[in-house]
Amino acid sequence: MKLRQSISILIIVIVIATMVPLFALADDSVPYDTYVYDYWEYIVFTPAPYVPGETISGIALGIGALNDPQGIYIAHDNAVYITDTGNNRIVILEPDLHTVRDVITTFENEGKTDSFDRPRGVAVTTDNIIYVADTENRRVVALDGNEAIKTVSNPQSEMLGDDFDFVPLKVTVDFAGRVFVIARNMFQGIMTFNSDGEFIGFYGTINVNITLWQRFWRALSTQEQRARQQLFIPTEFTGLDVDPAGFVYASNIDRDGEQAVRRLNPNGEDVLRKGINDNVGGDLLTWPASPSPFSGPSNIIDVTYRGDGMYSLLDSRRGRIFTYDYEGNLLYIFGGMGQQAGTFRQPTAIAAQENRVLALDAIRNEIITFEQTLYGELINKAVSLRYSGDEAKAVETWREVLKLNENFELANAGIGKAYLTAGNNSTAMYYLRLGMDRENYSIAFRRWRNDLLKDNIGWILSVAVGGIFGYVIIRTVIRRRRKHIEIDDGGGAFDA
Amino acid sequence: MRKYFSREKFGYMFGILGKPIDSFYEIRYRDQGSVPLAVICVFVLSALFTVNRVFAGFVVNEINPRTIDGITEMGAFFLLLGLFCVGNWAVTCLMEGEGRMRDIVTVAGYAMLPIMLALGPATILSNVISFEEAAFYHIIIGVSIAWTGVLLLLGIMTVHNYTLLKTIITLVLTFITILILIFIGLLIMDLLNQIYGFLFSIYTELVFRF
Repeated sequence: MKLRQSISILIIVIVIATMVPLFALADDSVPYDTYVYDYWEYIVFTPAPYVPGETISGIALGIGALNDPQGIYIAHDNAVYITDTGNNRIVILEPDLHTVRDVITTFENEGKTDSFDRPRGVAVTTDNIIYVADTENRRVVALDGNEAIKTVSNPQSEMLGDDFDFVPLKVTVDFAGRVFVIARNMFQGIMTFNSDGEFIGFYGTINVNITLWQRFWRALSTQEQRARQQLFIPTEFTGLDVDPAGFVYASNIDRDGEQAVRRLNPNGEDVLRKGINDNVGGDLLTWPASPSPFSGPSNIIDVTYRGDGMYSLLDSRRGRIFTYDYEGNLLYIFGGMGQQAGTFRQPTAIAAQENRVLALDAIRNEIITFEQTLYGELINKAVSLRYSGDEAKAVETWREVLKLNENFELANAGIGKAYLTAGNNSTAMYYLRLGMDRENYSIAFRRWRNDLLKDNIGWILSVAVGGIFGYVIIRTVIRRRRKHIEIDDGGGAFDA
Repeated sequence: MRKYFSREKFGYMFGILGKPIDSFYEIRYRDQGSVPLAVICVFVLSALFTVNRVFAGFVVNEINPRTIDGITEMGAFFLLLGLFCVGNWAVTCLMEGEGRMRDIVTVAGYAMLPIMLALGPATILSNVISFEEAAFYHIIIGVSIAWTGVLLLLGIMTVHNYTLLKTIITLVLTFITILILIFIGLLIMDLLNQIYGFLFSIYTELVFRF
């Protein structure tokens, strides 16, 4: 009886013990999918790099509900600047996001009181000059405190034509005071202005790619047909950010889903690296565009520079946030559409504080924050260590990443590269192969192979030489013997 | 068995590597060819093809291992070569070709020999080379494919007793025939499907009624 009891208790304990991990797995409380794409462009689910933090509404801040907010900018002191487009005001929040520093509704402009009309973009310089794309007033205003120090409106240039309507949507400014403006219906590129507000020229034009097939059909079609066809015009830029070195990150909507962001050098040339999948266009696995909101390439509407060469893209189609490193490798994906806390209904802009990602939603009229998890923190740390060239320290961090996500190719490749530098070729081969890094694997393999040959060249050569000698000797002996027999035979016949 | 696998027949199979025209002539006019040998050639080739896809060295292997399926690949080889043989036979029958079906099959199978012989060593080689030496691997594969092409051309030319120009014309026509064959095949499949659907609906109707 006692034995039976203890056995049944044991069984119950075992059953409960085996169920515990199941509960732990089911306790995945993130309301969106977190994944990356591997070398073969398969989806690999990952731990959540960022989890939903808070949703901050204007009412909670005590300034009345936001209305259709379109632009967000994090200043150098981590203060948050938001263009509350529908309410025609700029909201400035302290870095903790819970106290309002200032709300700008009116400002002094040449002695008169002036106000905004649907401002969409905002940027702040290190000396706290606020640049606002005052969209419907058709001007860019630079504010120092509550005073407009300059306005850019109605730029004049031979390049622009007489009937050009300047409607600024997004604005950013680099360390030298150059102002970059995305204007509506301006397909030639980003408009740049010098610090005096004079139009300098276009910047980072996107070239149109016409395939041979399209050109063929265009050549066949008549004038009327051509007029009715879809125009081959470049896509417009959608979002802007600038890194401390003065490189401009500009996002655009790419119908092919290949390159939705450009990193423009001071000459306006794209110097972005596209990573191992040769793609910085958001989701790789998409379906042809259809009325369904979940098909078609990602609709990248904003970009934010995250520091250490990393940048994040915001997709308005599926509400995802994609983060890439300086080589264009995909680090992590999070975010999604929905009704729950931490999901979007219509995301419009993205910005990042130190360990927090902020996004605006124009239907919820809220700021949605995402808090870094250990996983996200480790990846960010490893990438920044690699960016600054500290490979040895990066390896330790990559190892921590691998503990949380064994399938992360970038971590494997990172460890492999460090082993390669350290001269441990066989271990490097193991990790580089897991990381699908062919070029470095090849280097490690060649070194390993040549070392192996060098160490064993002695006996390999002796066996080879010995073998050849042995073969020659045996052959000669056999031939001689054969000749001998032939002679013997001849002799025998002769004797008979 | 001796009829198909005699020592002479093996000899002629490998003889096409050195003296293709002479060997193909013997195969056609002195019955030195063997259809089973040709089929075995294709079989071995498709197996080696899959082996190459799986085991080629990491440095040169661009194949996603999750897409490899040996049975499908083998089926594709047999289907393609089968279509080629049928198409070529159909065309050459109308164009005074002297080759019989078994000659065409033999030529198509034997012509695969260079790739078959190259794939094994190339796979082994690919495991001991680095990125810089990958050119050797690609050269071996490329040369063997070109050689196979030449053998196929010479074989078809010889067994049908054609000139080179006529051979090329028939090969182009063969290609068109293959396309037609595929089209008709798909058409028949669709038709059979519809007939099946029709019969099945009659069956369900009867079952529900009685």
